Amino acid sequence: MTHLPIIVVALYLATAFALPLLGRVKKLHTGYFSLCIATAGLVMSLLTLFYVAREGTFSYFPGDWPPPVGIELSVDWVTVLMHLTINLIGLLVLFYCIEDLSSEVRPGHETWYYTLFFLLMASLNALAMAFDMFTVFVFTEICTLAACALVAIKPKALCVEAAFKYLILSTLGSGMLLLGTSLVYMVTGHLNMGLIGQLLPQAIDLYPLNILIALGLFIIGLGIKSALFPLHTWLPDAHSSAPTPSSALLSGLVVKLFIIVVGRIIFQVFGSELFLMIPIPEVILLFATFGIFAGSLMAIAQTDIKRMLAYSSVAQVCYIYMGMALVSQTGIQGGLLHVFNHAVMKSLLFLAAGAFIYKTGIRKIEDLVGIGYRMPLTMAAFSVGALSMVGIPGFSGFISKLTLAFGALEAESPFFVVVIIISSLLNAVYYLPIVLRGFFGRPATEFQWDKLPLLIIAPVLALAVINIFFGIFPGSLQELARLAAETWLP
Amino acid sequence: MFETLINILSALVSNMHYLTAMLLFLIGFHTMLTHSNLIKKIIGMNIMETSVFLFFISIGYVHNASAPILDDRVAAYVNPLPSALILTGIVVAVSLTAFSLAMVVMLYKHYGTICSDQIMRLREEEQ
Repeated sequence: MTHLPIIVVALYLATAFALPLLGRVKKLHTGYFSLCIATAGLVMSLLTLFYVAREGTFSYFPGDWPPPVGIELSVDWVTVLMHLTINLIGLLVLFYCIEDLSSEVRPGHETWYYTLFFLLMASLNALAMAFDMFTVFVFTEICTLAACALVAIKPKALCVEAAFKYLILSTLGSGMLLLGTSLVYMVTGHLNMGLIGQLLPQAIDLYPLNILIALGLFIIGLGIKSALFPLHTWLPDAHSSAPTPSSALLSGLVVKLFIIVVGRIIFQVFGSELFLMIPIPEVILLFATFGIFAGSLMAIAQTDIKRMLAYSSVAQVCYIYMGMALVSQTGIQGGLLHVFNHAVMKSLLFLAAGAFIYKTGIRKIEDLVGIGYRMPLTMAAFSVGALSMVGIPGFSGFISKLTLAFGALEAESPFFVVVIIISSLLNAVYYLPIVLRGFFGRPATEFQWDKLPLLIIAPVLALAVINIFFGIFPGSLQELARLAAETWLP
Repeated sequence: MFETLINILSALVSNMHYLTAMLLFLIGFHTMLTHSNLIKKIIGMNIMETSVFLFFISIGYVHNASAPILDDRVAAYVNPLPSALILTGIVVAVSLTAFSLAMVVMLYKHYGTICSDQIMRLREEEQ
């Protein structure tokens, strides 16, 4: 049972390399084969959840070499929560891929898309549990390459340009990550996060400059990759021009994993005391506050629906950073809840928007008038995501915003409660008009059910159901997020 | 006064490798962000990554020590871990370079230029 988390990574990597071979033999079956593998991944992460719930969290040492010699993979509650999120969203997006891909990539490139998909999923799963700075670096790079390729696979120069921008800025980020790692290695002589964490309190007295620069490099480097405002400039281009399933994966999962790595570095390597000694939480809170407003304001100005969703991601990522930088347990719990909830909401919105584009070809928001008469189910699902983003009670977005607000109160900074409320109103300004126009605008045609392929409508509706379910019964998820927050800030 | 200057200078000279690595890092960083030529951006990316590799390897250097091959006559070994890690780093850097060059080829085929400013102008004209 303890081997399951690493088996998921190995299985995905093996699948990534086996798929092109399979594509040569039986082209049609690659999509369904991928579905089986992703289902197996989800089952394994569920089994890990039950195992951890019964036996407690554990560390896994590949090849039974404990640190400082070997690598450590930490299977704690954060890992469990992230593995569930990654594999659940990944599986649903994969369902959507099967029908949608033929309209997004060159004919014959579908198999390569699945290969990239599994490379990305393997790296995300590994990043969630990596407890060693160099392992983090390696999987960060795999993740960056796969994510850029998932954007550039669309045969349009616009996508390639967006992917190039993404790659250049991401490489800056990984360069900083590696430089920070080397600075920490220089003073502690370890790469394992736990061992570095034990030695840092002594090391900071001797070499304060090294450690401060390393912390700065980590936060800026990973901040670029996770699109922390004002380092988000690559995100709107890359996320809006990518094929729809890639947009859902990039916005829903990829940026979140880098936030998790930042969280691990802040709370498990540096520790909250050290983190609070330096005024870095204040800086992150400042960036996050500006980002929440700037992201929402820029989203209001957009005319393209996918671009609007991408700018909305900039704002939502800042909520998660805010939750972490509040350094209160409820704040971190809210941030981690928002990781899951935003992954569900944003992939739901991207997939629904993709379904509009698939059926009608409409990308402009103003042309979506009366779309609720032509595609009622898709539009209903989109509305669930939109209302959840605004934070209407009964949808999962409300729960995470509420928890974040409690976290702000626990950290004795009620200012951020005001920030959350105002930004919710701003969210309403750009999400609600789409819903209102879609359902109450002049219908261009007679009412008809959305005639979409089952594999496109099913994941959209499933995500909407998950969203409502965790909006009405948030108990189990909140408990999971609380346990995860306790690993970071006991 | 004069003595402190000499101390600083001698510290700089004895830590030449760190200084060089940092300078290279900044040169690469600057090239990546400011040059509009896409190939120069990739060159900058390589300079930056190589500088980090230089920095990482120089951490493991021990003065008057030999290569880490077991030998009874040798007293001290160089730390082999940074070199081993950087091997992985080099592989990663090569794949990043190959991928970004492939993307430049695709952009050049479509736009006929590798200047990012011109590409941006052409893109706006297309829209």
